[in-house]
Amino acid sequence: MEKNVLEWLEAKALEHADKTVYEDMTESLSFGDLIDEAKSIGSALASKELSGKPVAVMMKRSVHTISAYLGVVYSGRAYAPIDITQPASRIARQLATLDPDAVISDDDAQTDVSPAKLMTFSSLVSCKKDEAELQRIRSRMTDDEPLYIIFTSGSSGRPKGVVTSHHSLMCYIRAYADMMEISEDDRFCAQAPLDYIAAIRDIYLPLLRGAYTFICPKEYFMQPGVLFDIMNEKQITCVGWSTSALCVLSKLNALKEEPPAYLKKICFSGSVMPSSVLRGWQESLKEARFVNQYGPTEVTASCTYHKLDHVAEEDEKIPVGIPYEGYRVFLLGDDDKEVMTGGLGEICIAGPAVALGYYNDPVQTEKAFVQNPLNPSYREIIYRTGDIGRFREDGILEFHGRRDRQIKHMGHRVELDEIESAAVALDGVEEAAALYDSDKETLWLFYIGASEEREVIRGLREKIPGFMVPRKVKKAEDLPRLANGKTDMVRLNAMMKEGA
Amino acid sequence: MKERLMEILSDIRPDVDFESETALIDDNILESFDIIELVSRLNAEFDIEISPKDLTADNFNSASAMESLVASLQEDED
Repeated sequence: MEKNVLEWLEAKALEHADKTVYEDMTESLSFGDLIDEAKSIGSALASKELSGKPVAVMMKRSVHTISAYLGVVYSGRAYAPIDITQPASRIARQLATLDPDAVISDDDAQTDVSPAKLMTFSSLVSCKKDEAELQRIRSRMTDDEPLYIIFTSGSSGRPKGVVTSHHSLMCYIRAYADMMEISEDDRFCAQAPLDYIAAIRDIYLPLLRGAYTFICPKEYFMQPGVLFDIMNEKQITCVGWSTSALCVLSKLNALKEEPPAYLKKICFSGSVMPSSVLRGWQESLKEARFVNQYGPTEVTASCTYHKLDHVAEEDEKIPVGIPYEGYRVFLLGDDDKEVMTGGLGEICIAGPAVALGYYNDPVQTEKAFVQNPLNPSYREIIYRTGDIGRFREDGILEFHGRRDRQIKHMGHRVELDEIESAAVALDGVEEAAALYDSDKETLWLFYIGASEEREVIRGLREKIPGFMVPRKVKKAEDLPRLANGKTDMVRLNAMMKEGA
Repeated sequence: MKERLMEILSDIRPDVDFESETALIDDNILESFDIIELVSRLNAEFDIEISPKDLTADNFNSASAMESLVASLQEDED
């Protein structure tokens, strides 16, 4: 069994060096090109006097971004993808948490990173390959070493960087490839940003199975005709998209058009799929297989899957299914005892896909990655998701919401606390409360302060990503209070439902 | 019509200067949920039906492109 993802790449590069592995709107890479670029970047990084810390990759949506990720891996380090479209202050906080050895950027990038750490992609990729050095690095690596660090929303506004090993990644990708029966003939259409957890499927499935990924422009997902045309042109057979992307296309009446002709397998994840949306897709793509998938970044993207065996009925709740090969999923009650079939409990995950923790953040790591309370005998770390679930009689898991204030919005994980802390950091905002109307998929913010609503929206756009900026921002004289002076979230929720 | 269009636009995205932007879609300034809201409000406000085929960057990259789209769809109605 392989112990490093690069072994997948090397095997496929030998098998079919000339086959295209990744393509974007302007460029494409064959397996041979990819390994050449990655080895050059790896050799360049290895030749510099650096410590063993991670390397951040801040590049646009392009095939070369993946070469940069794998180049960092060749150098023996973990890569940390950073979303360059988010506000500069949030990038700065992620880089501060990371304290990287180096930052790889596009040649034309505008960043605040200190020049000593900044390296351009072209300066690295033009270096000569040093096979002996790369071999030396590889021979010392083990499969429990970090492969990547991917950032998610943190409740205090401090970003959490999830550290994942080669072993965990390979465990998930193998299980997914088996479940979806991925072959070298499969052609994927990448929807997720390359810095986002969902992109690991689009990046690594081609390396495992010799398949192909088209990196689709983000804006095509709001242009249904254009999207379906390019999916036909690229003969896309399989997609792993956010539930939200399927919902958006459905709301834009995409399903009134002829659906993509080659599409046979659809996996969706990220939030609860409305049965009406799923039904629309199922009726449009009658021959296709649909799979619902569930799980957080902390257990390498997903832990359970559910293959749909019938067209979704009105108001049917789509379960999240059964554990992937290599994952153990169980429920814990408030008393830390196991909750058996039929009862509600916190979804907990054990096994090799559990991440190594949050980078440079022992406090948050210890809260979520804990000793299995069911096991007093030896060290066994499990991940507590904070999600509530219930096992049906037939062993299938259902999702029943969150324990805390984390929500899923437009396929992204959002901590309402992060929105509030960004709001109160603005001049003219004294106090703020963020809420989510899940029926209407709308974020709300109530605040007290001198600022006008539009100023608050503009201010938030400079602090948090666009998808986190509330659509409804309401200034209030005061917030409803509980007897102890705390905000009365129940009354606020009612105000939101009434349209405030 | 221009005035009502600009009102809707600035209501949906108060942070964007719709007078000057000409790559609202291509530069990812408008997000997918902006477009959903925009389409439903344009349909209601101007009594038109924007079809999936009309949802192209060319039709939504600028306020004036949207104005032309609305005008052409209104003509089709007549």
